[in-house]
Amino acid sequence: MSIMERPVFVDDKLREVRQSGRLEYRSRSLPTWCPGCGYFSIVEGVTYACNEMGIAKEQAVVVSGIGCSSRFPFFVDLFGFHTLHGRVLPVATGVKTANDKLTVIAVGGDGDGFAIGGGHISHAAKRNVDITYLLFDNGIYGLTKGQTSPLSAVGLRTSTSPFDNPEQPLNPLMMVLAYGASWVGQAYAGRPDHLREMITKAIAHRGFSYLHILSPCVTFDKTSKTYVNLGLRVRELPSGHDATDLMAALRQARDQESLAIGLYYQESRPTLNATFEQLVAKAGGGR
Amino acid sequence: MKATDIQIALCGSAGDGTIAAGDILRNAVARAGYRVISFDVYPPEIRGFGKCISRVRITTEQSYALKRQSDVFVSLDDSHAIPHVGEVRPDGAVIFESQPVATVAEGHHISGHIHPGHIPYGIPLRELSEKSTGGGRSRNLVVLGYIAGLLGLAAEHFLSIIEKKFTKQGSEVVSRNQAGFHAGFQAGAATFKLDNVFFTPLGAPHGSEQVVMLSGNAAVAQGCMDAHLDTFFGYPITPATSIMERLAVALPKRGARLLQTEDEISAMAASIGAGFAGARAATATSGPGLALMSEMIGLATMAEVPCVVFVSQRGGPSTGMPTKTEQSDLNAALYGSPGDSQHIVIAPTNVEGCYRCAGKAFEMAERYQTPVIVLLDLYLSNRYETVTLAVSGPPFNLNANKPRPRLEAGEVYKRYALTDDGISPRAIPGDAGCMHVITGLEHNELGRPSDQEEMHAAMSRKRHDKLLGALQHPDFTVSKRFGDPGRVKVGLLSWGSTFGECLEAMFMAQAEGIPCAAMKVVMLAPFPVQPVADFMADCDVVLVPECNYEGQFAHLVQGILAKPVVRLSRVPGSPMPVEAILGEVRRLARGAVTAIAS
Repeated sequence: MSIMERPVFVDDKLREVRQSGRLEYRSRSLPTWCPGCGYFSIVEGVTYACNEMGIAKEQAVVVSGIGCSSRFPFFVDLFGFHTLHGRVLPVATGVKTANDKLTVIAVGGDGDGFAIGGGHISHAAKRNVDITYLLFDNGIYGLTKGQTSPLSAVGLRTSTSPFDNPEQPLNPLMMVLAYGASWVGQAYAGRPDHLREMITKAIAHRGFSYLHILSPCVTFDKTSKTYVNLGLRVRELPSGHDATDLMAALRQARDQESLAIGLYYQESRPTLNATFEQLVAKAGGGR
Repeated sequence: MKATDIQIALCGSAGDGTIAAGDILRNAVARAGYRVISFDVYPPEIRGFGKCISRVRITTEQSYALKRQSDVFVSLDDSHAIPHVGEVRPDGAVIFESQPVATVAEGHHISGHIHPGHIPYGIPLRELSEKSTGGGRSRNLVVLGYIAGLLGLAAEHFLSIIEKKFTKQGSEVVSRNQAGFHAGFQAGAATFKLDNVFFTPLGAPHGSEQVVMLSGNAAVAQGCMDAHLDTFFGYPITPATSIMERLAVALPKRGARLLQTEDEISAMAASIGAGFAGARAATATSGPGLALMSEMIGLATMAEVPCVVFVSQRGGPSTGMPTKTEQSDLNAALYGSPGDSQHIVIAPTNVEGCYRCAGKAFEMAERYQTPVIVLLDLYLSNRYETVTLAVSGPPFNLNANKPRPRLEAGEVYKRYALTDDGISPRAIPGDAGCMHVITGLEHNELGRPSDQEEMHAAMSRKRHDKLLGALQHPDFTVSKRFGDPGRVKVGLLSWGSTFGECLEAMFMAQAEGIPCAAMKVVMLAPFPVQPVADFMADCDVVLVPECNYEGQFAHLVQGILAKPVVRLSRVPGSPMPVEAILGEVRRLARGAVTAIAS
């Protein structure tokens, strides 16, 4: 049912949100993002997912890097670690290695993940460390006031590419699929209902789950990834898409003109912590 | 009867089994009850024809450094051994191959280089090996047997060590090597002894302690195990790798975890992540890896996360000399991270210290909520010493966390509460009601980002002041003075592996009648200002020997105490020669004042 068929009234929405219990997961700090930023819907999505899954607040850790997206931990009432630029995944790996019981959510932006931190994604994926990586892709460095990122579109004019960005952006989904991530999906901040379901599934997955979240930067990008442009380009994955077929997932990921949202690929294999336990058994050890 | 003090050096080419022979020798004499210090020199290549030397000093009481002159010298390869003949003392033994396989050009056989005072023992090593084992590869075992037979050491310990060492390769290899040893032993026992190298029989061992032989890195690994390390993250780098290799075997046996990460940044990052989550976490690296970790160490300082970093220094800068020792990462360890990021830096001075510092580092990291860097170097990591461990069990506090915070109803948990000693009660994920975010940003007591002037000043003070408690950390030697009490002519102030050489030099200077004392500084940050100032006030002149070019420790001391010291900064890539220190002590004892002026 679309918005056109049934209007949403603010009072109804507020009542629903208050009654759901997910406000419990919001912190007392108000987000510092610009009005209209797509990231608000990600906070909403994570609190929704935690509430739906009944995750105890003290049993969840949000680890982040540096950037607009990485201020995220301050806006939820969970344990959080705001680390260094690009280092969210190795820190999150350490947290999960130390305590099997924790739900670990890693968050970061496109520059944090695919520029400075690009070397870590492949290893987190290969180890299948049981964390959820939410990558906030606005295609620009927002916190430093608008510079080119490795996911910026060709032709984007920024303060560091004043004669328009000449470089082709990376294809993050193809990369992560090739790295062997055991859960790969994409969502769009402009479709919050779909987004929160995807976040819930990603957290529920046992192993390394990668959710690519498309989001506009309303302040520094007026031409490329705007709500209008992204809204026109985003599509759903074909109804017959087989999420166990890696090649089908790669074919869908290759199309960067129309951006498919949904679950691209999923497989089940031992997590890093499970392999640690196998190793302990092999060594004949135990605590 | 004179106490035993014999140094045996074995020299050969890579592939001769030189290091293997040295390893059997030191283990066998340690098992016999002697004290050992031993250090091997080998080339950075796995194959090739580089020079290998294994030196083993065997004593009745524990010694602190190798001697410059060996009592027994073995050549398994004359081209490498000839330049080292001079390190044999007068009346010492030189053992070499008497029947080379091919004609040797004039001057290329060691017999032409032996000094008049040396006692030569030319023996047909290859022939004995071939006769006893059917091949020439056991020359190293033959020569070991020869030494044991010649010097009257019991064969039993050698044979059991040989069995232990080769048992994985099958009983045939064990018996072949034992046969080679026997052949050498008989030849040695049948030789008329002309040298004056004698072992003194040992008294009964003390029952209250166990003596084991460990390398520095093995001692670190043992300290980690005894401190109940939960998680280790590492990336291979010489000379720290063997810490990780040992833990890779030991940790899973205790149900603990080790992960080889994609780089040093990740190793440090994951250690901090695990430390934040409440586990005991550590990593190990060398100088180049420390450089990669330094941003992360700053994060742990700012976010007040406990974690331990073992840094085994090697020759630098950059890739430098990976298989040579140096003490040139002191500055990087102290000041490597951006901002005013003081953390604890400790440097053991011997192998036993490696064990204690490793275990204590975890206590300090947890107690003071900070990264702790344990500075080793290649010489300390790779040298072997007999170490006395208490039979009563490991002397480490296994949970040095401050009592977890207890909150009143409705109270908001303050992760960085400002307290008298600067230490805030630390909650970890899983502690109900204590949710908080830690960050590398400057923050307020709640941990929320704040760049207010007063807050930054208060938090900076907290981060520095809380570390001062470490100077009084229980059962930890922060600094210690040795030698003559009271006023002395020359004081040796040193740190790390070079301190052993300083002690030896001090004993020799005292024997010459020079009033002399030595102080080791184990805790380099925070700096034990008062003990060092007191020591320096007692000395006419202070000499600071260290293995780096810039005199980094001397610089630190002068910067903090604003008093002059005399530097003895050398970068030989090998341990500081005792004679170099002694020579400087003599010179300073003669005219200390001019030395300071220069």
